[in-house]
Amino acid sequence: MKENLKNKTIVVTGATSGIGLSVTEELLSRNANVIGIGRSPEKCQECETRLRNLYPDCLVRYLVADLSLQKNIHTLSSQIFALLIEENINYLDGLINNAGTFVFWFTQTAEGIEVQWAVNHLAPFLLTHKLLPLLKNAPEARVITVSSQNHSWTHMHWKDVQLHRTYNGLTAYSQSKLANVLFTLGLNQKLGANSSIRAYAVDPGLVNTDIAFKGTPMLVRWIWSIRKKSAVPPAQSAAGIVSIFDQPIQAHPESIYWKDGKPRKPARWAINLDDAKRLWEISERMCDMQLSEVDHV
Amino acid sequence: MFNKLPSLSTVENPVSLALITGATGGLGKAFALECAMRGWDLYLTDVNEEALGILAKSLQRIYRIRVFYQASDLTDPDSREIFFTKLEDHSGLFTCLINVAGLDYEGIFTQQSREDLSTIVRLNVENTINLTHRMLQLRDPILPFRVINVASLAAFYPMPVKATYAASKRFLLDFSLALREELRSSGATVTVLCPAGMPTTQVNMDTIEAQGWMGYITTRDAGKVAAIAIDAALSGKPVVIPGTINQILRLAGSFIPATWIATLVGNRWRTAQEKRMNLTMS
Repeated sequence: MKENLKNKTIVVTGATSGIGLSVTEELLSRNANVIGIGRSPEKCQECETRLRNLYPDCLVRYLVADLSLQKNIHTLSSQIFALLIEENINYLDGLINNAGTFVFWFTQTAEGIEVQWAVNHLAPFLLTHKLLPLLKNAPEARVITVSSQNHSWTHMHWKDVQLHRTYNGLTAYSQSKLANVLFTLGLNQKLGANSSIRAYAVDPGLVNTDIAFKGTPMLVRWIWSIRKKSAVPPAQSAAGIVSIFDQPIQAHPESIYWKDGKPRKPARWAINLDDAKRLWEISERMCDMQLSEVDHV
Repeated sequence: MFNKLPSLSTVENPVSLALITGATGGLGKAFALECAMRGWDLYLTDVNEEALGILAKSLQRIYRIRVFYQASDLTDPDSREIFFTKLEDHSGLFTCLINVAGLDYEGIFTQQSREDLSTIVRLNVENTINLTHRMLQLRDPILPFRVINVASLAAFYPMPVKATYAASKRFLLDFSLALREELRSSGATVTVLCPAGMPTTQVNMDTIEAQGWMGYITTRDAGKVAAIAIDAALSGKPVVIPGTINQILRLAGSFIPATWIATLVGNRWRTAQEKRMNLTMS
């Protein structure tokens, strides 16, 4: 049964198109307050205006941030804190780490980090940590990271997680999605069974979005245009993601990987606790996590 | 904790301080990452100080190396002199120089400005000579000194539409090979890197796309190119051409008269440029 999410406040990244926009609309249709994050100021403005008109009783705010850079994530989290203070809210009921990218060629951010690793894995890792104090204040909070079935297509490349010597766009994408599941596993381990926060990795299914159309060669665009024909619309995938809010967080203590609102089994190597720990340590170092921030967990 | 980040041991590769020019560009960043993963300290330079600071801070934090940086416009002789003075004031001795900074203003020669053409020569040629000369005086006298000059596959061919650029890269090729001989007994090596197109900017990606399948089979990622170049420099190789197809093209090119190559390349580049303009406009 669909819960009414009135008075729940949820942050959604990548909220101006595709799955993120549909998730935002689904949350608003259930009366939740949503802070959407997008990279394009124009798209953020357009979405905020349109959704405010459609859902006048909900809080709808968009913040602009390019999540490929860690300095932007620090700024963004301060903006989220400030925005919530302005609204007299001191908690977050959910963070949906949806923003993701596919990059065909090896490309580094201004901070020197491979782009897919930065956006698809490090950004959720850092943003989640920055928002933990707010998530802890909610009676029940959910951290949902949009992974992919692709996570099972590869293993972690521990010697070179940025794959700079052996880069292949699809391998890098799949590895970042595997990292999403391992991060979810690691976060739940750190939080402990009795925590009021629970992390979920979600397989959105094959969704009809433009992820493989941005800056990719013609061959990749052609393959994606064929695959897209059998894909589900973003709204269908979004309904499955939001349905996680219908389950009490203690309902499925062993399940970290979900699809269509139901627990699923991820790849065997995605639930390896040693790997989750190793990834956590690497990510902390790559994100310059201060001990105090880690201790929050 | 981190276990096996550097792929090679520092005993085999005693490089400890590398200077990288053009460090915030696509290939420069790839070199910086490759050196950092080997545990080498870095001295980075490029035009934009803020970009250098962001990159330096990130690499220093992640790889626990020392990263120094100094912004400089190496196309400008005055700015270059100030940069050289800063280098001399730096307390560390250098063990590696990676000359990445270079530029091209593509176009028909007669339609280009003399200033643009001179800038290509000032950066690609004059700066490389001056900086290499200065750095050989600032090298660590005990450890091997590695110079990597980034030329291009264009160094092997006369290239219409990129005439000055290709000639400047030819200069780097010949200069590097000659200097390598001069330095043979001094414990310094010179390696010249001749990559084909690299997808480091949107313009480069459009160029690769416009060349069709040929663009894809000749293209190598910047990360791979940087890794191959450093491996080659450490083993003292004179010339590095990343990619088997590119090596075959280079070999095939050596059997064809230069005038024929110029005609072929000219036709290909003109077509590619038209396609690229169409792509940009659409």
